[in-house]
Amino acid sequence: MTKRTKGDLLLDIGVYAFLIALGLIMLLPLASVFSKAVSEEWAITSGKVGILPVGFQLDTLMQVISSSVFIRAFCISVGVTAVGTLISILMTALTAYPLSKRNLPGISFCMVLFIFTMLFSGGLIPNYLLMRQLHLVDNLWVLILPGMISVFNMLVIKSYYESLPEALEESARIDGAKTYTILFRIILPLSMPVIATIALFYAVGYWNDYFGPMIYINDTALKTLQLYLQDVVMDANNANLTNKSIDDLMNMSPEGIRAATVVASTVPILLVYPFMQKYFIKGVLIGSVKG
Amino acid sequence: MLLIPGLLFLLLFKYTPLYGVLIAFQDFNIFDGIRGSEWVGLEQFHKLVQSEEFGQVFMNTLLISVYKIVLLFPVPIVIALVLNEVRLMFFKRTIQTIIYLPHFLSWVIISGLFVTILSTSGGLVNNIIQWFGGEPVSFFVSNQYFRSLVVFTAGWKEVGWNAIVFIAAIAGIDQEQYEAASIDGAGRIRRMLYISLPGILPTVVLMFILRLGSVLDAGTEQILTMYNPVVYETADVIGTFVYRIGLGKMDYSFSTAVGLFNSVVGFILIVSGNYISRKLLKRGIW
Repeated sequence: MTKRTKGDLLLDIGVYAFLIALGLIMLLPLASVFSKAVSEEWAITSGKVGILPVGFQLDTLMQVISSSVFIRAFCISVGVTAVGTLISILMTALTAYPLSKRNLPGISFCMVLFIFTMLFSGGLIPNYLLMRQLHLVDNLWVLILPGMISVFNMLVIKSYYESLPEALEESARIDGAKTYTILFRIILPLSMPVIATIALFYAVGYWNDYFGPMIYINDTALKTLQLYLQDVVMDANNANLTNKSIDDLMNMSPEGIRAATVVASTVPILLVYPFMQKYFIKGVLIGSVKG
Repeated sequence: MLLIPGLLFLLLFKYTPLYGVLIAFQDFNIFDGIRGSEWVGLEQFHKLVQSEEFGQVFMNTLLISVYKIVLLFPVPIVIALVLNEVRLMFFKRTIQTIIYLPHFLSWVIISGLFVTILSTSGGLVNNIIQWFGGEPVSFFVSNQYFRSLVVFTAGWKEVGWNAIVFIAAIAGIDQEQYEAASIDGAGRIRRMLYISLPGILPTVVLMFILRLGSVLDAGTEQILTMYNPVVYETADVIGTFVYRIGLGKMDYSFSTAVGLFNSVVGFILIVSGNYISRKLLKRGIW
């Protein structure tokens, strides 16, 4: 290869400096909140905690995760995510299959029906009124049913189906296989990479959803983790604004509690993140715009 | 036959609400329902056009959205170009892992993170400001800084993730071009500027057009988790306004009118964006 010039060296320095700075910006907020969650009480209240923890204790964290409200919210979120992802994947994969058959009569009209909903929606209030009429307000199904199929995700799966060789299906048909057998025995197993990716996106969506629960769930017994977290984050924030009255009520600072709650809700994602990594890049690329 | 569940889902959860849009032309009363409520024609839209509050909300939406586009759109491109120059695979992979991560955190968690590091009582950033002799800033209740906060956190969450498309586009560039250029004596900076950058230009233009299509979405969920009454003046956007007026003040008809306005403008923007990109680049989202 070519030898390194002075310009190349400068470029290298610039490149590494830029990327290290970027990485630090991404990590610092996480490091800071983690430090506050495990630092000693006096250090937090006197504002001594920066990036690294001062002292070490897990009491705040333990108290947060053992509170019954946290456990309930956590379980509700896990349940909604698991059930929702399962239903979504099933519905999406099944619906995408007939739509991938371009020569089926009426199929392009159905496509238009689906795509139109990506571009135009009734808006918040008509949706809310519909959910009320269906008696889905304050019912956990409201977090799953209206978003069961994401048209975008369906299009991704559909285009993957279309990329599978047609000969495969034809030969199965000659061997006497029916549509369902073909779908469940041949198409779906072959589509596992894209299905795993989309399942991941659905799961992250259900887990992180805040808007849905905020609108449709008022019952405190049904609060999801994100709702609970928002309560803690913003309550503590408001307490800071007025004065520190909460300090007198609890032996732990709102700062510490807040940090610990954020950490407790982030850890599940950090734990699965390494495992999902191998899927999502591929998924984005399949999903990225193509002509 | 397989399509039936999907079509039922569409009909119930996507097309029924479209019928509900009619209440934007009514003085809707929840007890009378859509059939019993009084029709008022375009009155809600007159109210909308004349409302000073809506004008401000509309401006906030545009401002925040345009800031996000101008300041954040180029960053993923730069990240992709720079990452392409890294030869140490280990380093490259580590950085990628780190910069994709925030995409998977919810807005509530991100608000929590930034409330913590921007706190006036011992938050990292205010500690640094005080170190340099400045006054601590309450970012979350400051009309002066709130928009910057919104733009920065949106960038923090998504720039790394958005770079993926451009990283892939660079990977698709023909390697022979680079070899030919280096034989002609082009250094790495030149190769980056004259091969990598033009190579991903079609992708850049396409992403930009698509991004413009959603200019009226300034990040509803993000702002909902972050804002408070003190900063409504600068932070209330169409999405949050619809929520506050509709579900907060129960003004269903007016709120639906605002929502309908938003949907119609959004629809026109996306459809024309796609049209332009089909003309210009021969590809679009459909």
